[in-house]
Amino acid sequence: MPLHGASERLIMKKKLYIIPLFLTLFSLVVIYLSLQLETSPQMIVGDSMQARSFPIFLMILNLILIGILSYQFSKTYPKEVKLEKFPTWSSILLFLLFYILVTISGDLFVAIPVVMFLMGMVWGQKKLWVALTNAIVTPLSIFLLFDYVLQVRFPRGWLTNIYYG
Amino acid sequence: MIEALSAMGSVFVDPYLLGLIFATTILGVIIGVLPGLGATTGAALLLPFTLTMEPVQAIAVLSTIYVSATFAGSITAILINTPGTSAAAATTFDGYPLAQKGEAGRALGVAVVSSTFGGVFSVIVLCIAAPLLARVAYEFRPPEYFALTVFGLSMLASISAGGAVKNLIGGIFGVWLSTIGSERVTAIERFMFGNYDLYEGLSFVPVFIGLFAISELLVQSKMVNKVVNAVSLKAVKLPTKEDYKKIWKTILRSSGIGTFIGILPAEGATVASMIGYSEAKRWSKNREEFGKGSIEGIAGAEAANNSATGGAMVPTMVLGIPGSGTTAIILVGLMVHGLRPGAYLFTEQVEKVYQIFGSMLLANLMFMVMGLYAARLFARVSFVPISILWPIVFGLSVIGAYALSQSLVDVWIALIFGVIGFFARRHGFAVAPIAVGLILGEMVETNLQHSLKMYDGQWWMIFAQPLALFFLVLAFLGLCGPYLYSLITRQKN
Repeated sequence: MPLHGASERLIMKKKLYIIPLFLTLFSLVVIYLSLQLETSPQMIVGDSMQARSFPIFLMILNLILIGILSYQFSKTYPKEVKLEKFPTWSSILLFLLFYILVTISGDLFVAIPVVMFLMGMVWGQKKLWVALTNAIVTPLSIFLLFDYVLQVRFPRGWLTNIYYG
Repeated sequence: MIEALSAMGSVFVDPYLLGLIFATTILGVIIGVLPGLGATTGAALLLPFTLTMEPVQAIAVLSTIYVSATFAGSITAILINTPGTSAAAATTFDGYPLAQKGEAGRALGVAVVSSTFGGVFSVIVLCIAAPLLARVAYEFRPPEYFALTVFGLSMLASISAGGAVKNLIGGIFGVWLSTIGSERVTAIERFMFGNYDLYEGLSFVPVFIGLFAISELLVQSKMVNKVVNAVSLKAVKLPTKEDYKKIWKTILRSSGIGTFIGILPAEGATVASMIGYSEAKRWSKNREEFGKGSIEGIAGAEAANNSATGGAMVPTMVLGIPGSGTTAIILVGLMVHGLRPGAYLFTEQVEKVYQIFGSMLLANLMFMVMGLYAARLFARVSFVPISILWPIVFGLSVIGAYALSQSLVDVWIALIFGVIGFFARRHGFAVAPIAVGLILGEMVETNLQHSLKMYDGQWWMIFAQPLALFFLVLAFLGLCGPYLYSLITRQKN
């Protein structure tokens, strides 16, 4: 392990407990939300369980497992998780761009080529025409396959409106 | 029996199915050799394309992808030391060293023969074991099914490399996901936050596309600058007589091990190949050769991983409990096409079941031909730049997620689960337990509800049913056995 100093170890330990803390918070939120669920009359549920019971049971089980996980973390340091590189974060941001483009244009086939092109460039494609060709030919082929063979209708938007008429 | 054999044989004389399986085998091998694009991701991406097919054709496509991609992972494992699928990881231990010695053709030949034998062996076991297990499963009532799904969930602890506790947390998260939507008995809306697209619950297909394909895309984005060194390959050579003498016992043993491990709920080809490899080493007279290019090592890993494919189909089709991530997708494929997995599948749809088995057998024979004559060509596919490949995967994922219900909500679900899956994997949580948990979630809750109704709310009566108790004890031993064993041995020492 590369960390040596006491302060560094403390920082590392704090980082390690972020995952159990996050999972605990998630479980508690689910339990809280489950408790807000309506209860059914006894004549419907009978001797079975209420809709809230099963998720609560699951999250209690989860909390026990999180306890064991924290104990394991305190005994052995798991591998240090390095920060993601540029292509990873930018790809996630491209998903966001995809959502925005679909919301604005209403058209999957406007958003997919744009994101595919940018993704290709971000992932190290140096030839512009290769990224562009890939971004145009692939969605077009998929569209034609789904439209003609599988007869799937896509949401109407800027481009599909022209095609569907 | 004759009916079953004729149904299996009909696959071999149906030109459409033959062509479909041939084309899918090529696609499966391509998917298998592309690092990162394994059988599970391939099946998730192809599932939407099977929507308009007949049920048998659709499942034939998915199962062909499963067997051919599992085999093809060995091609890149041997030639570029990068397993195309996780199931081929053990093949790199001896495959690549042998290839470096200039014997890549021999290594591939052993891999092809062992994989084919393992695959065919497991399909034969599948044909025999599945109907027998189905007969037993007829006797299952809700308590037994509840206990069985608990056993299946407990097996998630060892489904992949994440570590038992992390896998179980993933499995519970998956089961919780299955509670989203309208509760089946009371119709109370759970965790929908007013979104009525979720009324029927989360669709499996977009969640799987997100967890397997999109999260893999993000994982692969770390490999942008990875350089691979390939070894040269002239032609694939079939093993010689001497080779066969050396490996036949290993192939037989690993086929048995792989099939058995595949049958265990939630265990898969990766675990099988590791055990197949270590057992080959344990029984070998030439242990010192292992890790330096032993053909027994290659045979042990390859026979085991391919035989696990047939084995994993047993619990999938008979009990509705998937044996791996890929069989989870095949299970969804069965449901989408109206084939409800379970014991009744073997009485009501027996012809279709055996046609599916027949297509798996055919796929095993076809990838042998591909492996022998086109491995060199397929190996080149692995050099497709990731800056071209993964944007294509993005396009396919998004459209695939949309296609099933023709709903944009499914696209957002796929993207969200892609990001969730990525961050889970980043912190050592495997995604397969989430997928299996999602599938088993409905079964476990529904059967628990029915059991409670059966016994007037006396939950302890479940433990009074011998078969249910048997599965629950198995689950307990599966979870706590290793810890108890180490505790006892530590105290003894």
